[in-house]
Amino acid sequence: MLFIKLFLSFIKIGFTSFGGISMIPLITDEMLSNGWMTTEEINDIVAIAEMTPGPLGLNCATYAGLKTAGFAGAVVANLGALMPAFTLCVAAAIFFEKFKKSHRMQQILSGVRPAAIGMVAGVIVSLSLSNYFADSSLDLKGVVIGAAMLPLLLKFKVSVPKVIGLSAALGLLLYGIL
Amino acid sequence: MASKGQILTLFGDFLKIGCFTFGGGWSIVAQMHSLYVEKRHTITGEELLDLASVAKSLPGVMITNVAMLYGHRAAGILGGFACVIGLAIPPMLILSAITFGYSMIESNPWVMAAMSGIRAAIVPIIISAAVNMIHGAFRFPPCYLIALLTFSLYLFWGVSCVWLVLIGVAAGLLISEFYERRGKGNAVH
Repeated sequence: MLFIKLFLSFIKIGFTSFGGISMIPLITDEMLSNGWMTTEEINDIVAIAEMTPGPLGLNCATYAGLKTAGFAGAVVANLGALMPAFTLCVAAAIFFEKFKKSHRMQQILSGVRPAAIGMVAGVIVSLSLSNYFADSSLDLKGVVIGAAMLPLLLKFKVSVPKVIGLSAALGLLLYGIL
Repeated sequence: MASKGQILTLFGDFLKIGCFTFGGGWSIVAQMHSLYVEKRHTITGEELLDLASVAKSLPGVMITNVAMLYGHRAAGILGGFACVIGLAIPPMLILSAITFGYSMIESNPWVMAAMSGIRAAIVPIIISAAVNMIHGAFRFPPCYLIALLTFSLYLFWGVSCVWLVLIGVAAGLLISEFYERRGKGNAVH
């Protein structure tokens, strides 16, 4: 039963997401509403998915599958996330020449992209609340780390794995030693 | 018809590519470029870009879509499946091993401290990814309204993301049709 639910969840996530980070709101939705994960674990997913090879979407499927139903769960979740590739994309491959010129997909994307940005912005707000205001008080150390990493990413274009390494070191220093 | 050997070769290629897919979809397109365009000449750079742009406009994970399109082109449907599955296996195994290792040490206080630090960096990481998404995402002025609408529905009313994406689909069709029809008289494309 759990396997079917996982599979269906990731089919849903697969078909309604368009690449990378736009998957996060959908995954958050599915994981929290099914009670499969805590907000903390959603953070871990993003961190671990960004640190290991593989696309974010599949890594999220693997991690969520593992957490809820072990290795078999990971396989099932991956298959779910791959369903768009196995169906729609096969159709697009067969009718490739027609599809390449199709205008409809561009029209759809011109609405889906802003919709995804809105959802991601929503995730940013809700994750900020849970990450920096744990136990209803401001986690000052966390805010310091977050505020230090933002310009590194945006302005100095430091890569994500490096930022994760750096924030881990800061975490050891601020939460572990001090 | 594609031979068994051809399909196995594709599977092996993508198994290898899957081990090194850091940093999103374009890193694998770059790997495919050096293997198939420069080394084996099985596809031109332009055709590969066509595949990538179609893959990007389909739902799902972009790079597995690219893998399906390339595999299908090279060796039919079975070739496509071989590429996608080959690509998906290495990250799944690596991540499973890491997660297993992590679950054994996660209650260690030092690991917990490091993870608290990492969690604090997730919001900035998502923000920077979102900033990269913004480029070219707002084709017409009303697109800003779509973003505002999905943002509020998501955050304040907890509307399911599936509905929000469907709203995006409908709004995208309506808005583009409107602007394209209006601009037909004086449009320069």
